Amino acid sequence: MTKKIAFWIFLLGTLSSAVVFLAATWDTHQQVAVLSNADKLDERVVAGKRAFEKYNCNDCHTILGFGAYYAPDLTRVVQRIGEEGVRYRIKSPEKAFAGSWRKMQNVHASDAEIADMVAFFKWVGEVNNNDWPPQDSKIRLSRGEQAMVASVGVSPGAAVFQTKGCMNCHSLHGTGGTFGPALDTVGQRKTTKEIERYIRDPKSVNPKAMMPPQKELTNRELEEAAKFLSSLK
Amino acid sequence: MEYRSQKIAYWYFAAALPLFVLQIFLGLYLAYSYTWTVPQSVVDVFPFATARAMHTNLLVLWMLLGFMGGTYYIVPEETKSEIYSEKLAWFQLIALLVTGVVALVGFLFGWTQGRPLLEIPRPLDLVVVVGALIFLFNVAMTMIKANRWTAIQGTLLGGLTFLALLYLFGIPFYKNEVIDWFYWWWVIHLWVEGAWELVTAAIFAFVLMKLTGVDRQVVEKWLYVEIGLFLFTGIAGTGHHYYWIGAPRYWLWIGGIFSALEPLPILLMVIDTMNHVKERKTQIVNRLTWTYAVGCAVFHMIGAGVWGFLHTLPQINYYTHGSQVTAGHGHLAFFGAYALLNLMTFYYAMPKIKGIEVYDDRRGKFGFWTMCVAMMLIGLFFSVAGVLQSYIERVLGMGFMTAQSYMRLWMGGVFFCGFAFLAGLLTTVTDLLTLRPAKL
Repeated sequence: MTKKIAFWIFLLGTLSSAVVFLAATWDTHQQVAVLSNADKLDERVVAGKRAFEKYNCNDCHTILGFGAYYAPDLTRVVQRIGEEGVRYRIKSPEKAFAGSWRKMQNVHASDAEIADMVAFFKWVGEVNNNDWPPQDSKIRLSRGEQAMVASVGVSPGAAVFQTKGCMNCHSLHGTGGTFGPALDTVGQRKTTKEIERYIRDPKSVNPKAMMPPQKELTNRELEEAAKFLSSLK
Repeated sequence: MEYRSQKIAYWYFAAALPLFVLQIFLGLYLAYSYTWTVPQSVVDVFPFATARAMHTNLLVLWMLLGFMGGTYYIVPEETKSEIYSEKLAWFQLIALLVTGVVALVGFLFGWTQGRPLLEIPRPLDLVVVVGALIFLFNVAMTMIKANRWTAIQGTLLGGLTFLALLYLFGIPFYKNEVIDWFYWWWVIHLWVEGAWELVTAAIFAFVLMKLTGVDRQVVEKWLYVEIGLFLFTGIAGTGHHYYWIGAPRYWLWIGGIFSALEPLPILLMVIDTMNHVKERKTQIVNRLTWTYAVGCAVFHMIGAGVWGFLHTLPQINYYTHGSQVTAGHGHLAFFGAYALLNLMTFYYAMPKIKGIEVYDDRRGKFGFWTMCVAMMLIGLFFSVAGVLQSYIERVLGMGFMTAQSYMRLWMGGVFFCGFAFLAGLLTTVTDLLTLRPAKL
C-alpha cells in the first residue's frame, strides 16, 4: 500500500460515514415531531426544561439515560411515582429521603417551577424512545405482576387485576370493594374485546358508567386483564 | 528542543497538571458520596451535582491544555519555523485558565448551563470560542507561513478545527429534549471519538516517529489509514447514543453496525505501534517515554475498544444504558486514550524543553504503574457495580436504591483505589515538574 492509497482510504472512509450520518440526521429532523409529540411541547414544558437546567438536576439524575448516575432516571418518573410524588420530592427532599442513606439537595424551587418541571417530565415520559427504560416498559408486565405470575401461579391477567387497584371497587368471590359490581361471572355477559373497550373507556359503552377510564394500564396489561375477566363464567 | 517558541508548551503542561490533581480530589468526593451518607446539610451546600460538574470540566480543561501545549511543541518542529505569535499563545493560555477558574468557582454558586459536561454558562462559552479562534489562527498562520505541509500537521489542524466547530452545537438552548440530546452528542461523541482522536493520533504519530526513528512516509501512511478508520466508524457510530432518546428506529442499525467496528482503528494503532517499536532505528534512550507510548496504545484498546464494544450493541445497551457500566467505560477510555497520551507527550517534551537528554525515571515509573493498576481496578469495580445495577434495576425491576445498596461495596472499592491513583498521580506530577538528569 502506498501513501496515496492510504490517503484515499482516509478520504472515502470519512466522506461515506459523514454522508450516512448527515442523511440520517436530516431524516431524524423530519420524524422527530411525531416521535416526541412536539404538538404537546408547550411553554410550560419548555419552562420546566429551563428549571431542570437551572438547578443542574441532570448532574445527579439521568433523563433518557444521560446525565449522572447518582440518582434515579427521570424518563418515566411521572408514570412511576405520579405528579404528586414528583412535587413532594422536589419540594421537601429532606422529608422525602429522611430514611434513605442517599440525600437529595433542596434546590428551593418555587411552586411554579416545580409545576413546570412536572409538565416537562410528563412530556418526556411520552416520548416514543423504543420502550426504554426496561423497568418502566410499556409493553411488558411490571415486575410485581411478573412475580405474582411466577410465585403464586396466577395468570398474568389475574396479577394485573390484583395489583392495579381493580379490587378497590370490584370483588371476586366476595373479596374486594363494593362500589362497582362483582365480576364473578362477567365472562357470561361480555367478550374479551368488549371488556377491553370498557376498561379503556367505560363511557363509550355505557354513558352512565361511574368507572374512570384506566389510562395507566399498558396495552399488554389491558389485554391480559380482559382475557382473565372474560374467562370468569 | 529546536525552536525557542516551543518553550510555551511547558507552561501549558505545567498548568494542566495541578488541574488533573484537583480533578482526582473531586472524584474522591464523588466516590465517597456513592458509598456512604453525605448529610443533608452538606448536600444542600455542596451537592454531588456540583462536584461532578467540576470533576468533568477539570478533565476537559486539563486535557485541552495538554493538547494545545502538545500542538505548540510539535508545530515548530514540523514546520521548521517559530510559532507565528508567542504573545497570542501566552494570551490564550491565560484566557483559557481564567475562564476555567471562573467557571469552576461559578459552579460552586450554582452558575451553570445545567447540561452534563457542558455546564459552562453561555457567556463564558463565548470567551472559550474566542480563545479557540485565537489558537487556531496562531497554529494555522504558523503552518501557512512555513508552507511545509505534512500529514501530521494536516491531521492536527483538521482535528483542532473540527473540535472548535463542534463546540458550537453545544451552545444553543434546545426546546425539545430529544433534539437537545441529539446535538449534545455532536459535541461529546464527535469530540472524543472524532476530533480528539485526530488530534491525539497526530501527536502520537509525531512522538512515535521521533522515538523510533521510523521513516516519516511509513508513519504518515498508517496515520492516514488510522484516522480514516476512526472517522469512518466514529462519525456514523454516534448513532449508538440515539437508541433510546426518541430518534427513529434505524439508528439501532446505524449505531450498532458502525460502532461495532470502532475497535478496529485502535487495534491497528496497537499493532502499528508494536511494529514501529520492533523496527526502531534509534536506541531506547528514555525508557519511560516508550513505556507511556506502548501503555497508551494498549490501555486505549482496553478502555475505548473493549469496554466500548461490550455495551455498544442495542440488545445489550437496552439494559446497560445509563448505568455504572458507562462510568467504567468512561474512566478506562479517557485514561487510556487521553490521559496517558497527554502524559506521554509531557514526558517526551518536558525533558527536552529543560535540556535534559536522559532523565531519571525511577519516580516516574512508580507513578505510571500505580496509576495504571489503580485505574484498571477502578474501571473493573465500576463495571461490576454497573452489571449489578443493570440486572437488579433493569432486569428484575427492583428499586433504584435497592440496586445502589448492592453496589456500595464496589463503589467503596473505587473510593480506595482513588487514593492509590492519587498517590501515583502526585508522584508523576512532582516528577514532571522537578525532572532531573539520570546519574549514569
